[in-house]
Amino acid sequence: MFEAMGVHGPTLSPFASLVLDVALLASAFWLLAKPTKRPIMDSLFLATLVLSVTLLRVVMQPLPNVQPVTVAALLVGAQLGARRGAAFAVLVAMISNFFMGDGWWTLFQAVGWASVAVAGSQLSLITPSGLNLRKAIFASLAAAVWFDLIVSFSILDGTIGFTDFITYLIHGIPFDLLHMASNLAFVVWLGGWFSGRLEEQPTLEEIEFAVVNGHGIDG
Amino acid sequence: MFQRFIAFILLSLMLLPLVSANQETSLWNQENSLAWEYDFGTGYISTSPIFVEDKIIVRTSGNSEPAVTALESDGTFVWKHSNLLSKNNDMSPLLSVNAGEGACGTWPDLLLVGWTNGVIDALHPSNGSVYWSTQTEVAGWGITGAASVSEDHVIYPTRRGVGQFCLADGSQEWWAETGLGWRNGVGLYDGSIYSGDELGTLWKIDLDGNSTALATFEGKIRHAPQMTQAGLLVHVQSSTSSTVYILDPVTGEEHQQFPAGPSPAMPVLNGKYAAVADSTNLQMLKCDTMCTVVSQIPFHSNGEIGWQNESHLIVPHNTPESDWGSFRFDGGQNLTLELIETGISGYGTAAPLWFSSNGVNYTVFGNDQSLLRVYQSNYREEIVDTKYINWGTQGIVFAAYVLLASSAIFFINGKKEFFLRTFSLLLVLILLLILPELSQVWSESVDQALPESSTSEVWDEQWPDSWLGTQVVIFEIDGEQTAFGGFVGYENVFTVTKAAAEEAGYSLSVEQTGIGMYISSIDGVEGDGWEYDLDGSKGRLSADNTEIKSTSIVRWTPV
Repeated sequence: MFEAMGVHGPTLSPFASLVLDVALLASAFWLLAKPTKRPIMDSLFLATLVLSVTLLRVVMQPLPNVQPVTVAALLVGAQLGARRGAAFAVLVAMISNFFMGDGWWTLFQAVGWASVAVAGSQLSLITPSGLNLRKAIFASLAAAVWFDLIVSFSILDGTIGFTDFITYLIHGIPFDLLHMASNLAFVVWLGGWFSGRLEEQPTLEEIEFAVVNGHGIDG
Repeated sequence: MFQRFIAFILLSLMLLPLVSANQETSLWNQENSLAWEYDFGTGYISTSPIFVEDKIIVRTSGNSEPAVTALESDGTFVWKHSNLLSKNNDMSPLLSVNAGEGACGTWPDLLLVGWTNGVIDALHPSNGSVYWSTQTEVAGWGITGAASVSEDHVIYPTRRGVGQFCLADGSQEWWAETGLGWRNGVGLYDGSIYSGDELGTLWKIDLDGNSTALATFEGKIRHAPQMTQAGLLVHVQSSTSSTVYILDPVTGEEHQQFPAGPSPAMPVLNGKYAAVADSTNLQMLKCDTMCTVVSQIPFHSNGEIGWQNESHLIVPHNTPESDWGSFRFDGGQNLTLELIETGISGYGTAAPLWFSSNGVNYTVFGNDQSLLRVYQSNYREEIVDTKYINWGTQGIVFAAYVLLASSAIFFINGKKEFFLRTFSLLLVLILLLILPELSQVWSESVDQALPESSTSEVWDEQWPDSWLGTQVVIFEIDGEQTAFGGFVGYENVFTVTKAAAEEAGYSLSVEQTGIGMYISSIDGVEGDGWEYDLDGSKGRLSADNTEIKSTSIVRWTPV
């Protein structure tokens, strides 16, 4: 399955890459497979969101560890719920890595961002008056550290010991700082606007509730 | 009150880049990197090395074994010729002569060396063996000045005169007495030989060896007179100052004089421009029908002046713990100086050597620290030329200033949201700018603080013994390993890899990223990129930011 071992973790064979991509895609659609009153609109909206953030990530590739996806996943999870947030994260990871380089690390990036989205859905970042900026700032800083930690696990290939892994994490602290600083900038500059655009979209839970209520009324 | 204090601090930070501006890396240091160095152990390098038959020839003295040493362009030792009887610091410039024939015979390619015990050696540049050797007169010391070649003979300044010697066998053709000389180089112009002495007398000698005192000054003449379009240039050293004279070469009549500082250096010409230096200034003179001082810059130099091309000079800074001076000259009025780091600061009188090998330009530095350091032009295949102003970086810095000021203003006015916006952007900009250096310094600190990995690159018994104690590079291409070793003096993974690739005939594709150089293909093999192991440990920084030891083993593997 693994062709070689490298500093980015195992190198995947073509078949393994295919398996990974299919698994990720399947998980994304499974997360989205819920009844909705506006399937086309919702799909279009999510597709637009995914492509926009993917493009942003690709464009910002020259800036080391500036990851707009982290904040986007956090806010999408906060506004649209855990499932759509996780699906968003998985799709962005897959599609952007198609341009930037796909590999074993894609799995960890997808897991990292998806977990950030799930966390975002649980932190009550959205209030009736809009985005809780203070909470969002702290959440984005923590999300940077969390995501970088998750992705770091991708280098474990059986040849790296615990001490070496800790040393590797410590070496990466300057890049973590940049990730945190860029997350802060994204939140304060775009957080309110972005969550406002998402606010118009009902969460899957709201959709489910409306569907159930509708059937109940009809019943 | 607190807000105003914080704002004051933020605004004060704006001044920090101005304070540290002079600590930025010089343009020359950005364009050049250390290729290798050679430690002679003891002795001084008092005159510029020369490049002959693809070898760097260096003379050292001031120790128990004055010698001339030949090194390959990669620092490999070739040969050494010593003169244990030489007396003082040997500063007579080395002279390379092409093979030829004349009235007194034929001769092969020669390297001429004049020693302070009066000996003139003619060596074969290929192996340092003596072709001929001749003894000249000694009075305390012998030869200290620069010689000159004319047709089938060489003219050497001795302690008390000037002699002409046949290139074929070193036999003396004539010797003309002058005054006692020191660093009394000879200038040969239009069939006349000019040389000065320690009593300030400028001598003119014809090709038959008849000498005439052309002019006399109060002071000492310690260089080979230079012929400009305006006349003969002589820089006379007095007790506390010096004077540059422009003289009629036939009559010795003084046409012009320019005041200068104490302890003058040896003037050099480039076209119509003459560079003169002393313990106070470096002056640039333009000499047409008359000479005029077009520019001068405070600088302390007392030996040789290195003139690379029309617009660039490098001069040794003859003071303790001082950097070298890189002067840019646009041919008009502008002469600018930036101090460059060569790793061998301090006293020095030898000009640099410039040479090219395999398409790479090198600069060689040596001074009284007995260390030879060779720099090469950086590999710039895919790097945007930033020789002048890097507008991108300047723009980022300007934006940082604006954000800093804005942050302070918003903070004072209590506009927290706007303060957060500007300050967060400022933070990102600063981190982006400092990330390469920060990550390197951080990684070095971590490596020092934390124990190293127990893995190490294993010595391959099939490697030649001559590679023991040297740097080795291994390339894994198409499943096969190819090793190249015997490298000495390379400081980082990138330079030693480049050297190994050149030896192997591999092409290297290099990309300049924000955090260093990234090798994207070796010998046309790209894969998903290349990664390296250094002594068995995976590389954490870019290749050009990872230092190596003298016995390091670098392994390149495609991802």
